[in-house]
Formats: sequence, C-alpha cells, structure tokens
Amino acid sequence: MKRLLTSGAICAAGLCVGLLWQRGMTEAYAQPAPTPEERYASPLELLLSPDGRLLYVLCQGADEVRVLNAATGVVLRTIPVGHVPRGFSFSADGRRLFVANSWDDTVTVIDTESGRVKATWGAGFEPSSVVEDRAGKTLYVADRIGNDIAVLDAATGEEKLTLEAGRGASYLTLSGDGSRLYATHVYPNPTPHRTPPKSEITVIDPTQARVVDRLTLPDVAGVFHVAISRDGRLGVAAELHPKNLVPLAHVEHGWAFVDTLTVFGADVGRSVEVPLDELDRYYALPFGVAISPDKSRIYVTHGGSDCVTVIDTKKMLSYIRAHPETFAEDLSASAHYVVARVAVGKNPRGLVLSRDGGRLYVANRLDDSISVLSTRENRVIQTIRLAGPEKVSALRRGEQTFYHAYAFQGQFGCSNCHIDSTFDGLQWDLEPDGFGKDIVDNRLIEDLRGTEPFKWNGGNPTLVKECGIRTETYFWRSQNFDDLRLTDLVVYVRSLPSRPNRFRAANGELTPAQERGRVIFNRVVDKLGQPIPRSNQCGSCHSGPKGTSQKSFDVGTGKAVDNSSLFDTPQLMSLALTAPYLHDGSAKSLEEIWTVYNPHDRHGRTNDLTKDELNDLVEYLRTR
Amino acid sequence: MRRLAAVASAVCGIWLAALVYGLPPQQARRDGRAVQKQIETVPVIFTAAPVYASLAALHGEERFPQGAQLMVLWGGRTEPLVAGFAASTDANVSFDGKTVLFSGKQNAGDKWGIWDVAVEGGTPKLVLAGAMDLIRPLWMAEGRFVYARRAAGGFALETAGLDGAGPLKLSYLPGNFVPDDVLRDGRVLFESRFPLGAGVTASLSAGAPAEMFLVYADGSGVESVRCDHGAGREHGRQLLSGDIVFTHGKKLARFTSALAEEAAVAAPAGEYAGDVAEMPDGRWLVSVRRPGEKNYGLAVWKPGAAGLTALAEDADRDLVEPVVVAPRAVPNRHPSGLHDWAFGNLLALDARQSRSGALATAPAAVRAETMDGTGRVVSLGTAPVEKDGSFFVQATGDQALRFILLDAEGRTLRQEQGWFWVRRGEQRICVGCHTGPERAPDNRVPEVLLRTTTPVALTGRALAGSAAAGGH
Repeated sequence: MKRLLTSGAICAAGLCVGLLWQRGMTEAYAQPAPTPEERYASPLELLLSPDGRLLYVLCQGADEVRVLNAATGVVLRTIPVGHVPRGFSFSADGRRLFVANSWDDTVTVIDTESGRVKATWGAGFEPSSVVEDRAGKTLYVADRIGNDIAVLDAATGEEKLTLEAGRGASYLTLSGDGSRLYATHVYPNPTPHRTPPKSEITVIDPTQARVVDRLTLPDVAGVFHVAISRDGRLGVAAELHPKNLVPLAHVEHGWAFVDTLTVFGADVGRSVEVPLDELDRYYALPFGVAISPDKSRIYVTHGGSDCVTVIDTKKMLSYIRAHPETFAEDLSASAHYVVARVAVGKNPRGLVLSRDGGRLYVANRLDDSISVLSTRENRVIQTIRLAGPEKVSALRRGEQTFYHAYAFQGQFGCSNCHIDSTFDGLQWDLEPDGFGKDIVDNRLIEDLRGTEPFKWNGGNPTLVKECGIRTETYFWRSQNFDDLRLTDLVVYVRSLPSRPNRFRAANGELTPAQERGRVIFNRVVDKLGQPIPRSNQCGSCHSGPKGTSQKSFDVGTGKAVDNSSLFDTPQLMSLALTAPYLHDGSAKSLEEIWTVYNPHDRHGRTNDLTKDELNDLVEYLRTR
Repeated sequence: MRRLAAVASAVCGIWLAALVYGLPPQQARRDGRAVQKQIETVPVIFTAAPVYASLAALHGEERFPQGAQLMVLWGGRTEPLVAGFAASTDANVSFDGKTVLFSGKQNAGDKWGIWDVAVEGGTPKLVLAGAMDLIRPLWMAEGRFVYARRAAGGFALETAGLDGAGPLKLSYLPGNFVPDDVLRDGRVLFESRFPLGAGVTASLSAGAPAEMFLVYADGSGVESVRCDHGAGREHGRQLLSGDIVFTHGKKLARFTSALAEEAAVAAPAGEYAGDVAEMPDGRWLVSVRRPGEKNYGLAVWKPGAAGLTALAEDADRDLVEPVVVAPRAVPNRHPSGLHDWAFGNLLALDARQSRSGALATAPAAVRAETMDGTGRVVSLGTAPVEKDGSFFVQATGDQALRFILLDAEGRTLRQEQGWFWVRRGEQRICVGCHTGPERAPDNRVPEVLLRTTTPVALTGRALAGSAAAGGH
C-alpha cells in the first residue's frame, strides 16, 4: 500500500484534526475548547495484565492508556498515546503494549515495565487494532481506511507488506496457540447493486504473514470483535445484520436490523449466524465478545442497549446442531441459549475476562466507567468510575443519544447506520417514497456545516428536521427524544469533524496526477476546444470549500424508480472513503460515475477524457 | 379520595398508624361490603359486581348485568370510588397516579360513559358520552385515551383526547374489540375473538375463542400478539418486565419477549379473572376464585411463591379489574406515518412461507376479499404472485381484508383464517402468510419490486369510489 504521508505529515495531520475537533467543540458551545484534563475518558477497550493484577483501559476520548489496579480500580499510571486510539494489545512476551491510534495513523509502543512510550510508528490509514505474533517478530495492524492489514517488523516498525482485508478492516484477534489471526471489518465488501451485503472474517497465518482463508458472512454488514476459545475450536464474531433491501415500512419483527453472532470453528463445523434479539426487544450494536476459559459461556456487549448478553455455549451448540438450516431471522431462537442480559453503563464496548473467568470487565464508553460482573451470578458487583469531567455536557449527551437504540423496541439507533459516526456503505429503501423507489445511499456525516440541505432530494433544510420529526416518523417509528435531547444530538452531529485526508499532503501540495486532476475539475473548455457551459463545469455544482453548491440538479443519474431526477449536490469531503457513489449507490467507483452513468455528459463534460485523465480526476477528488 | 392521596404522598401521623396497623375488619366493612384481609402499602381500586361475565363484551353483551361499583381499598378500609353513580367500573389510573378514568352510569338506564375523577377526590367529570356504551378507557400518551365504543357491528376501538376532541377509530372490522392495556411501546393491546373478524358470520363465530391483538395508536399494524392460537386468552396487562400476563382459560399465562409461544405461569390453584395489576414491589395483585369459593376475591401473589395472600373478599360480589394507584411509566407516543391516501399498500415478501409450513405448490396469484357489515364476502380482485412468492397490492383502507393464495388454475392453496385491515395511507409488509411475529424478514429485494414499484389495485368495483388514484 502506498504511504502518502511521512511521519512528519502524520503529526501535522493529527494536529490538523485536533484543531478541527477543537473548532467543532468551540463553535458548538461558544466557549473555549476543553483542555486535555477536561476531556471524557471514553474507555473503549480493556486488557488485563498476564498476572491479572492490572487493568489497562484504552481511553479513546482522553488519548491515553490508564493502568488500574484491577481489584480496587485505583489508577496507577496514565500514559499519553496518539489521537483517537481504537485498539491495543500486549506483545507476546508482555513487555510491550501496542496502541493503534486511528486518527494519527500511528502505533504507540509502550514499555509495560516503565510505562514509557518507546516508539511511535506509522502504520497505514486509520489503524484500529494491533496484534503481535506469538514469535514476537511481526506486528499486524488493521487499517480501517486502508482496508488492509499492515505487517510490520515488531522490532523496528518497518512495514514489510500489507494483506488485503475486508472493507473497513478494524479488529484483530490471535488464536490461543498463535497459529491464526482473525480480522474483521466494519463496512461491507462491495456487492452488486441492490444485492445483500457480504462481509468476511479474514483468516491469516501469522507465522507466514499470509491470508489462508476468508470466511464469508452473508447478509452481514458491520463486524466487530472476534473471540476465539482457548482450545481454538470455537470462534465468535459480533455483527450487524441489516435489512436495507426491504422497504423500511415498519420496525417491529426485526425489520431494520437484527443483531447476530457468527459462530465458527471445529466445534461448529461451519459458519453459523446466531441471532441475539427477541420478539419484542432488541440488543443493538453487538460489539465486544469474550469466551470463558472453560468455554461454557459467551459474553457480548451491546453498545446500543447498554447491556451484556450471556450465552450458554453448550445450549447454543446444541441448538445449532438441531437446526441445520439458517435461523438468523428467528427472533425466538435466542431463548434457547441466552441465559442472562446484564445491564451495564452507557455504550458498553470492549470487555475482558479475568484469567479464571470469574470476573468480566466491561468498558462503558459513554459514561466513563468500568462495570465488573460476577460471571457466577451474572450481575454487576462493582462499578469503577474513571476520572474525567463531572458534568455531562450537551455534546456528551448528544453522543450518548447518537449511540443509544431509540427505535421501536430498541431495535437500532443513529450509530447503526453511521458506524462510529461515519456511514455504513449501504443503500436503503425508505418507506415514504414508495416501496422500491428512491433508493438512497447512506452518506458520511462529518463536517456537515455548510452542506445543508439534507437527504438526497434536499428535503430537509436543517439537522433538527433531519434528526427530529423525520427520524421519529420514518426511522424509529416510535417516540423520539425530547427537544432538549434533539438539540444535544444536533450539537454532536454538527461537531463531527472531517477525519484527516490521507490522500492530501499536509502542506497542501498536490502530486502531479492530483494537479492534473484539479485542472480537469476546473476546466472551462473541453479537449475539442469547445466551451463547457458553466452549468456543466464540475466546480459549478461542486463549488465552495466542501464541494457543494447546496442546490439540487438533474445530472442524468435518475433511475426509473426515482420519483425525481433532481438530487442534492453531495459534498466532496472524504470522498475516497464513501464508495459506492451517486444517490442510489449504483456507481461502484468514482470512475463509474463517468464511464457508466454519464453517457450524455450531463454530469459534467467527461466523455472527452481518456482513462488516464479520469484517473487524474479521481486522484484529485480524493484530496477533497 | 382526598385522604388517599394525602397518605400516598405523606405517610405520617394517623395515616401511618393506619398503614402499619390497619383497621379491624368490622370497621373496614363500614363503607363497603368488601372485607379487607391484608393491609397493603398502596391504594387499590377494583370493581365489585354481583355478576361478572368476563367475555360478554366480546359478544356485544353486558359484562356486569347486575351492576358494578368501583371501590377503593386502602389502609384497612374500602369505600366507593365515586358517589352518585348507578354503576361504575374499568378504573385506569393516569401515569402520574393522580387521576382515574372509568366507565360509569349515573342512572341505571344510562349508557356507559367515560368519566374521570381526581385521586384526591372531587366531583367526577364526564369525559365522553354517546348514544351507545363507551367502556374500558385506558390512558395513552399525550393526554389521549383509548376505549371501546358500542356500534351496530359491535364494540369498536377508538381513541380521543381528554376533551373528547380528535376521536379516531382504530378497528375496522365488524365484531367486538375491547382494549386491555396500552403497552409501553405505545401499541394498544386489545382482545377480540379468534380468528379476527369472528362474530359476524356464524361460520366464524362457532367456537371462536378470545384472543389478544395489537394495534398502533393510529389503527395501523394490527396483528396477533403471538400466533400460537388456541384456547381463549383474555384480559392481558403488561408488567414492568415487558411481559404480558393474561388468563388462558382460567389459568394465568404470559407472553414474554423471548418466546414465540405463551408461557405458563405457575400460580397457585384457582380461577383467575385476568387484569393482573403489578404492585410497586413486583408482587401481583390478582382477582381469583380460589377452590371452593363462590366469588372472585383479590389476592396478592409473589411470583414463585406457593400461596396467595388474600387481600379482599366479598361474599356476594366478584372483585375484579384491580388497579394500583401509583405513578407509572408513560408509554411511547406513536408518530403516525400514515399518508393522505384512501388506500393502503401491502407487500408480501414470500407468501409461500407460513408458521404452519411452507406451501409445496408455488402460488400463482393472490385474491383479496373484503366483508361488509352483514358478513357478505366480496372479492376485490386478484394479483400475480412472483416466483419468489412476493406480491404488491393496493387495497382500500379501513375495511375488512383477507388474502387467498391461488394456484395457476385458480384453486385455493391457502387462505387466511380471519380478517385484518389496513389503514388509509398505511404501507405494510409481511414476511409471508402467517409467519408469526418471531420471523424477521430476509434481506433481499422482492422480485415484484424489481418488476414494478406500482401495486396492483385490488379495490373492487363496488368499493372503487373510495380508492384514490396515484400512489406515492
């Protein structure tokens, strides 16, 4: 994979993001941005030291790792790391801690004895998880934007190669014997338009740095953590199973999402999708998963439902064997293997079991706490509060709202379709436009200020309408939040900054190809010397700093099932991340916008351009 | 009643004494004939009636043919809830615990009307009255309530504001529909006879048991709570856990979120009248006729316990429909997404699928039928069924509807047992024919929508006048 940024550029980009973040905070509140001391800890992932005495907490909001006494919850050490850390793990010998910093594109290497940062290595685009092989020679880093696994020398951090993974590669798990590394991804792999999404678990032989298998997860979009039993015979992945192809006419009976696990390995003999929900109650956003040492229990956190599901493994396997056909859509199945639902804090994410399996630690990201569960009693026996702001700000409340499943019967929330406040790579059939009509691609929601109106038809002038009455009536199908909470939510959404653009140099200089693309983007005369009408110049509609005139146009991309051919001009920021393209997601790539869906040059004059010139245009657009 | 609230809000002084020590049974008899057996920490309202015909309303008949009286049980004392009423029943306490809705007749010859009275006391206020009976009022979100209005075709479900404004009919079939509870998700739990629409024609009525159904607050989305239909299920109420407890025959049973079938409740022996009220401490307040007893009395049961604790009995009257006077959670408001159309659109993803087994023969067409108030069945036309079992039709809203699957020769492959309705402007999808609420849809585009996004109009010639053109 090409590395476009030097380490200096990485730092600059991180600083840029930090400033953007601060700007969002500042403008949202009209008050000074919080100092690091005022930032919420936002614990995302947990690790226990090999001896079980220390609890390592990855605090995403505070950009640090906190080391706690696992028994008392007392903080023993705080270690600053990179920006927006997303994953961490110990080295094979336990002497180093690796932290994947998603917005810095770095891995922080920490000496566990001294607690000092020993090195910071570049590690691809948006590192999200990091694991060292058992031999201690190779480091694997899942890169969400890179869609790959970077393979680094564990001693020097030098990148040796990259392995192609699923789209939005994010989470890595090493098997107990170190013979296999499992990688998941949060965005679905490309499939033909209007066909079910697919995902995969990429299986890597870490001793050879080679992909040895790709377990297909049909119908799944959004896969999070994987757990492997100690004996290596049972694997479990937490995931979302969306219903984006069915008109979203109502919500009950799993009409928008079901929450599932994929169970695989020798104990199962195949990959099986196992539902977690019930008929009248849903357990949204399954994220973290752990298997008890004796394999008798599986624990799953639900980020949207603020609880942990406890599964009896033996019962689950029995049910699987008794049901050779798929039962992923059977909402009554979970009654046969779920033995408890334990309420924890807000937005529970990572979890870790004590070595004897007697305690389960759960990171509650949005209330800065760790729930400690007795696995014998299936109840919370201790709650560890992490230091941070006492007051819950409007921004924080908005984030809590964003991640809570507000839909009918708690089936889903904003973050189901905007994974980690981004997008989901899916196209949805919303009900009010008619069944099978006005299929809409889901859009990224970063840096939305100045991109109004919203919706592809431009029908919602403000976020208040977008997130308020529209969401209540046609998404939740249930009472929405009150006005104050809606205001908090809008504050949060408006505060979301654009992530660093990995395709643009920190100093703003363009590569030759990007510069050629910029010239094409801004041209007023075509290659035949004919003037391009102002209305058909790229920069006419895609104008301004965000690449949108905020107006609707008919550029000939309407389909027979669209009620109108007029579409809101989408902003161009972070365009490289958000395939597929066009209002209905019918263009698999940027190239297809012009090579397939622009036969009459109504979407800009492009049919005079060569393949190379279109490539240049793509290169430029990726810098936006 | 004023005393009631005073004690509920500030347990002190003489009321504390009453709370702790109670009053002797003979004193409890002073204001009413019901005998207090056990002192409870919250006030309870119930109906006392010489005769209680629990299923009568589902036959359009009177549940309390010899009258009924709402009583309050509190601190060792029972007393009438309201004075000056020839009959009163169906108490339902507001979410803030301050106001009681009830059905009442000031004079014996009156129709049942809907009244409210403050828990603190005062003069009852007529909320809604009509030329026919209005019964079973239940609070909903935003100051509305649902009730059953007797009409020519039977008791129909309606909602209205507390000022009587904005009445909205929820049920659109002949027959009797009686609300049981408003679930916290905002839907109305109601009972009717199974199959839905039974009661109009003799063939459907024969042996049709009571069953519980759900409908949104705008009348859309009507469906069975569960599809393991069997013997009668009635008088359900939702508990704090979300479970719905009801009587199955004369035993208690429940629907719980995880199960597609009802689950038995291992309650002590007795005949239960349903309408279980949950106490703030989680115990259940039940109306039960224990073995050897003539009438229903009130008892408290801690789920899992071996025995009941008698709360109140009356040698001459049944004590039924208990409610606890305490604040409770406000159910969700349902944001209606109904369109301004005269018709509804219905999409089936795979009509071959059914809880009772998939069809062996692929259906070629689907016929829609409606039923008028006399039970006369009218065909609305047929529409093709795609190879994947999907079909997409448009039907006139707010009328009886059922589907019959046909083979290529027009022979019936399967037909719905009962009827349902689609609201005007409703768009609704089913997975298959009677797949049950446990079945979530597969994530795929049904073939019919790949062929056309225009539904086949099955509005019937006779009813075509009410079907507007257009669609989306």
